[in-house]
Amino acid sequence: MKNVLSIQLFIQLLINGFATGTLYALPALGLSLIWNATGAFNFAQGDLLTLGGYMMYTFYFLLDLPYPLAFTLAVVTMGIVGALLSKLYFYPMFIHKINPHITLIGTVALSVFLQNLALVIWGSTPVTYLNPFGIKPLTVSGIYIMPHVIWYIAIVAVLVTALQYFLRGTIIGTAMRAVAQNSTASWLMGIQNDRMISLTFVMSTAIAAVSGILISPIITLSPTMGGTIGVKVMASALIGGLGNFKGALIGGVLVGVAEAVFSAFFDPAYKEVFVFGLLLIFMIFRPGGIYKINITEKA
Amino acid sequence: MEKLRKYSQYLIFLIGLLLLTAPYILSQYGLYVLQRGMQTSIVVLGLVMLTGFSGMLSLASAALMAVGGYSYYILLKYIAISPWLAVILSIVITVVIGTLLAFPSFRLSGAFLTVTTIGFAEIIRILILNLEPITGGAYGTSDFPRLVANTSHLQILMTITIVFLAIAVRRIGDSRIGLAFKAIRQDHIAAEVMGVDVKRAKTVVYALYSLFAGISGVFFATLTGYLSPDSFTTAESITPLLMVVMGMNSPVGAILSALGLTWLPEVLRFLLTSRLMVFSLILLVYIRLSSVKPKWLIQLNNMIDTKILKKNTESI
Repeated sequence: MKNVLSIQLFIQLLINGFATGTLYALPALGLSLIWNATGAFNFAQGDLLTLGGYMMYTFYFLLDLPYPLAFTLAVVTMGIVGALLSKLYFYPMFIHKINPHITLIGTVALSVFLQNLALVIWGSTPVTYLNPFGIKPLTVSGIYIMPHVIWYIAIVAVLVTALQYFLRGTIIGTAMRAVAQNSTASWLMGIQNDRMISLTFVMSTAIAAVSGILISPIITLSPTMGGTIGVKVMASALIGGLGNFKGALIGGVLVGVAEAVFSAFFDPAYKEVFVFGLLLIFMIFRPGGIYKINITEKA
Repeated sequence: MEKLRKYSQYLIFLIGLLLLTAPYILSQYGLYVLQRGMQTSIVVLGLVMLTGFSGMLSLASAALMAVGGYSYYILLKYIAISPWLAVILSIVITVVIGTLLAFPSFRLSGAFLTVTTIGFAEIIRILILNLEPITGGAYGTSDFPRLVANTSHLQILMTITIVFLAIAVRRIGDSRIGLAFKAIRQDHIAAEVMGVDVKRAKTVVYALYSLFAGISGVFFATLTGYLSPDSFTTAESITPLLMVVMGMNSPVGAILSALGLTWLPEVLRFLLTSRLMVFSLILLVYIRLSSVKPKWLIQLNNMIDTKILKKNTESI
């Protein structure tokens, strides 16, 4: 496989990388939303993703609910988790203007907590379930594509369009962006900052959960899985430009494609080294990411 | 607090004396836990300078410890030099590699820098995992001689090291370069305007931090006699960071919180698998309560900060 480089293989790689990349892009988007709203960086994003995957495993596989219902339930549960996190931890830290470093360390502790929560509830044995999108690859002129790949791209595309519409086209989305831009001014304009920030966390956690739900049939779920994925998600957000909607998407896709191409042409064991090396290069030479943002403003 | 700070040097010696008596009091297992705590406290002391003084978070502590430990192993196994020479060389290697982290820190701060350190740490861990012919890969490795086989002798060596390093950290904190570190934490632009060479100070603080991490890594190898990539995951870098927060940025606090937090999971052992869950929850609640019901922590920080300011104005 390594020596035979055909155009079909390459396209296949790109499509697969793209699909994986969209799954990194969603939680990265969540990171950006939170960053914009509160200036906090959530290290536990990868573990929230894992938790979403486990919710889906519980609802779909263990409780045997139909896929759309299980999907909705898992997303709603994780949304509630997000609201709780905001209410109990992030909002008080934000409103009392706690040093972002301390908040950051707290999210690191949260990450350990969520990992071990999953360990206690679901056990350390990796679990998986049958891919609900089917396992028979489709063939289009020599290109083999798994059906889930197409589903992922479609679901993420719909979700991202809806999110973009929500943020730009509705009054609540505009209020959320106003809080992100200047919380004092938005407060004076009669916007309830606490609710908007809660809503941001609900959205951020819910879209991370969507990513976890989608990823759960193709990789085995384990409590520690959030670690590596979390770092890739953070890398996507930073490479794209933290706080930027397009940046998160492009960063995620870039990481996904880079990973797929590198694994195919070189050693898959070193694919993480390649991705993190990419991150280091970006951070040294273009710290603001692709969509350059003013990193000294909130850091 | 003023008094406590004044006597902290004596407090360090007192802790040292208590640690020296430990082999005669504790059981073999208790001593092992204590020594793991002491070994962790060395890297925490390094983090006191990096995070406490200069305000830069690092999640690469475990990776740098791994560099120290594995260099020690590789030097002994393949070059077969004297263990003491190997210790020095592996610390030097750690310092060289760790100082590389200073380069991203010139332009980054906050979460950006922290994620960069995770990326760096993961690269090191995956390299160790995959370079199986040299490092033993996922199986880990245990075929290397210990630096000091006798645990009571090791206890003496570690105690001396900790006392020495803690006093060093305390003195660095009050020195010219230490004040530069603290100035960078408060406002790096103002510091630069005041004539602090920010790049130099950051390089120095990373070198010092990796020096401490390297020493800690060598002690880890000697103490456990077993090295595996699993011992150096990013999760392992988190606890030293939490210890710095709990130790309130002082060397004495760092040692005490390192010893205490290493011992805490052992106390919680009756909780079986939920041990780490409870442990991290306690830390999370601690962080949340100490920041938002701020009184004592913020007062304490203010006290330290105003003291530095006072000292600065006095020296002018």
